[in-house]
Amino acid sequence: MSNGRAVNGFLLDITGVLYNSIYKSDGVAIAKSAEAVDFLYQHSKVKFLSNAKGNSNRNVARRLQRLGINVREEDVITPAPVVAQYCRENKLRPHLFVRDDVLEYFDGIDTSSPNCVVMGEVEEGFSFDRINRAFRILIDMPKPLLITMGNGKFFQRVDGPCIDVGAFAAALKFSTNCEVLNIGKPSRFYFEQGMNALGMKPEEIVMVGDDLMSDVGGAQACGMRGIQVRTGKWRPDFEKMPVTPDLTADCLYDAVKLIADNGFRL
Amino acid sequence: MSKISAVLIDLSGTLHIEELAIPGAQAALELLRQHVQVKFVTNTTKESQNLLHQRLKSCGFQIEKHEIFTSLSAARDLILKNQYRPYFILDDKAMEDFEGISTEDPNAVVIGLAPEKFNDGIMTEAFRLIKEKNASLIAIHKGRYYQKKDGLHLGPGAYVAGLEYATGVEAKVVGKPEKLFFESALKTLGENIDFSNAVMIGDDVNDDALGAIKVGMRAILVKTGKFRSGDELKVKNVANSFVDAVDMIIENKVEND
Repeated sequence: MSNGRAVNGFLLDITGVLYNSIYKSDGVAIAKSAEAVDFLYQHSKVKFLSNAKGNSNRNVARRLQRLGINVREEDVITPAPVVAQYCRENKLRPHLFVRDDVLEYFDGIDTSSPNCVVMGEVEEGFSFDRINRAFRILIDMPKPLLITMGNGKFFQRVDGPCIDVGAFAAALKFSTNCEVLNIGKPSRFYFEQGMNALGMKPEEIVMVGDDLMSDVGGAQACGMRGIQVRTGKWRPDFEKMPVTPDLTADCLYDAVKLIADNGFRL
Repeated sequence: MSKISAVLIDLSGTLHIEELAIPGAQAALELLRQHVQVKFVTNTTKESQNLLHQRLKSCGFQIEKHEIFTSLSAARDLILKNQYRPYFILDDKAMEDFEGISTEDPNAVVIGLAPEKFNDGIMTEAFRLIKEKNASLIAIHKGRYYQKKDGLHLGPGAYVAGLEYATGVEAKVVGKPEKLFFESALKTLGENIDFSNAVMIGDDVNDDALGAIKVGMRAILVKTGKFRSGDELKVKNVANSFVDAVDMIIENKVEND
């Protein structure tokens, strides 16, 4: 791997790449991810493109800082503010099935007589009553629209894999036949947020993630290179799946070091 | 036409509507019993055999409990046949149909209608069993939603679809109109029943009539219960009610579709 193409910017997934999540706690940093982030801030350009839907960007950054990973709030991209902007631009009146911590992004948006449902809730705030309310609102719409913050099948917590928002979106789609719009990886629209934040063309960027289909496959479909790390939700059986990463590394630090040692080429 | 030997009879909408029997249905049933074997079949995810039996008795039908075969019975058969040790996501009322079945170290997830259990923790538990321990996914049925007095509610099909999406595993559905359901119900009447000499009587054109026809049975659609105008165009044998359906069978006038 002597030459390859130039790598001018990095998009990093957060959960499973920088740290592993633990229910109702800050979680635990992945070895040497803090060094990798510092190194990229000094020697390249880096943004953090996450499907995390539970916290505001400020709280995502603060959590990482508490774990010793120096990520700046302004470099964090999560779906909630992007969804809110999408609602404003398209004059959508959402019913919000989201975490309290991200409600601030929807300030000033009309939520009366909703014409879409925005869904970004899993874990402790999820209940049958809340999903049933979303269901009733959708089934009464002439053209039901469900906007989800990512469509992940599962996310990895230290205690094991946990069902993710994509499953609840599939449940609502089955019962209401709604259109599902994913604003999160692997949608092109969402990856474009990362490209715009870096101010680069896709071919200049590498995306590093633990989710083969969403991070790696999604990035590749947009013309970026996709790097798989063997942390977070990575499973040995990923090798049988129909996406081939441009690089597979044991962890973020190894991926960054390999690319840096090659003169920022891959 | 060869003679009918076995008849499967739907309950709600066919023999009775809520607490009222279809007029004349009790006597018609007694008449039918003199000619053929019968079994009572229904899709339910939370009404036990016991509860259904009590309701039929209070409507004046002479029926034994063991003559009722439900989607829960079909699930029980499947569980026993495959030696499943289920993780049940079921209403507590349904659990009496699963007495004696071991649930230790589960190797299957069995889902019915249990709104209070449709939460993140239980869905994650089911997900882990399927994804990490290769547990099978079994759905009592896959209804999209249902009506209650206070409005519409998500049906079990939604939870099943969510787990199918997350795990990539397809659920095995046990209720009507699945082939296995009709097969299992007929098998309780004898090992060598000829499906073409068996009839399904019901008010649901899809789940009862077309489902039975698909497995090679004959079917009579009754114009009671959830019957909707236009349904009669989809099948050959249509009767005004269960009483007329019985006459058609006795007079051997039930055609193959």
